[in-house]
Amino acid sequence: MSNAELALLLLILGCAAMRGAGLLVAGRLRTDHPFVRWAAAVSLATLTAFVLAAVVAPGGILAEIPLAARGAGLTASVSILFWRGGLALPVLGGLAVTLALAALFNA
Amino acid sequence: MIFRSAVCEALGAPALAMATTFLAFGAAVQAAGIGLGWALAAAQLVYGMPGQMVLLAALGAPGGPLPAVLGAVAANARFLPMAVALAPWLGGRGAARFLALPFIAVTPWAMAMRRLPQMPVPERLTWFLGFALTSWTVAGLSTWLGFVIAPMLQGWVLAALLFVNPLYFGVILAGETRFAPARRAVLCGMAATPLVLLLPASWALLGAGLVGGTAAFLWSLRVEQR
Repeated sequence: MSNAELALLLLILGCAAMRGAGLLVAGRLRTDHPFVRWAAAVSLATLTAFVLAAVVAPGGILAEIPLAARGAGLTASVSILFWRGGLALPVLGGLAVTLALAALFNA
Repeated sequence: MIFRSAVCEALGAPALAMATTFLAFGAAVQAAGIGLGWALAAAQLVYGMPGQMVLLAALGAPGGPLPAVLGAVAANARFLPMAVALAPWLGGRGAARFLALPFIAVTPWAMAMRRLPQMPVPERLTWFLGFALTSWTVAGLSTWLGFVIAPMLQGWVLAALLFVNPLYFGVILAGETRFAPARRAVLCGMAATPLVLLLPASWALLGAGLVGGTAAFLWSLRVEQR
């Protein structure tokens, strides 16, 4: 078993355990329990770091998109979210801005 | 009837968002040189894009699988509070609610928390399974398609497709900032992001998440004690 397969297997088990534990303790552990709140905060902070790092200092093929296009794409997505709401429209709008600027810079 | 209604609801905007992001994930796995089986197993059995992407990003770093897994588990740690919050709304006691276990993920959860409270108790689990199974199927098919078409996409077009995931999560995070504790977690996560560049690559995201998340948690406790 390769490292990638082992890591995936462990992640699958970890995610199933978290979902199962959540369903199991529901009713016993309140949603405002300190542990649940801490886990939610760590989850959001990790996701935030992932998004910001992908915009500011991405690795691999993402780095081919100019920083200005990445930043403008995310700004457009968030702006559309606060303007119109929804999920698909902000994502597609941000993607369109990213693509347009990337095409402009790569022309 | 309620199952079919949930399927139709899932095939609207949620399916579009899910399809785009899982298409991008399939393309990202292909670009990383990992196999289709791995991509499909991740999409269908992890079924939590933050953890999937963090795992994929961390696999390339030195340090073995453990830090990659811990970072990915931290990114998906919201499954625990999500399941705790969702369970009371699912109706069905005991084993029946565990049918929902593999499908607890951001999109079905967010939609369920909006719809289930207005629904008669006996219909809730059926609605959730209809919505979630549809989203889950869309995720698998999109992953497969993304993996297959990735080699046909060139340079910055493929890169832009991969950028869908950060955009998607950026939108989800921005939406959550309506609530003060989530806003603090996002702000502290932003402040901790430089750690991603300073820490060893394999521990970078986990380290930033732990520091930022713990700071946000303590900040919230302090605000409540005033």
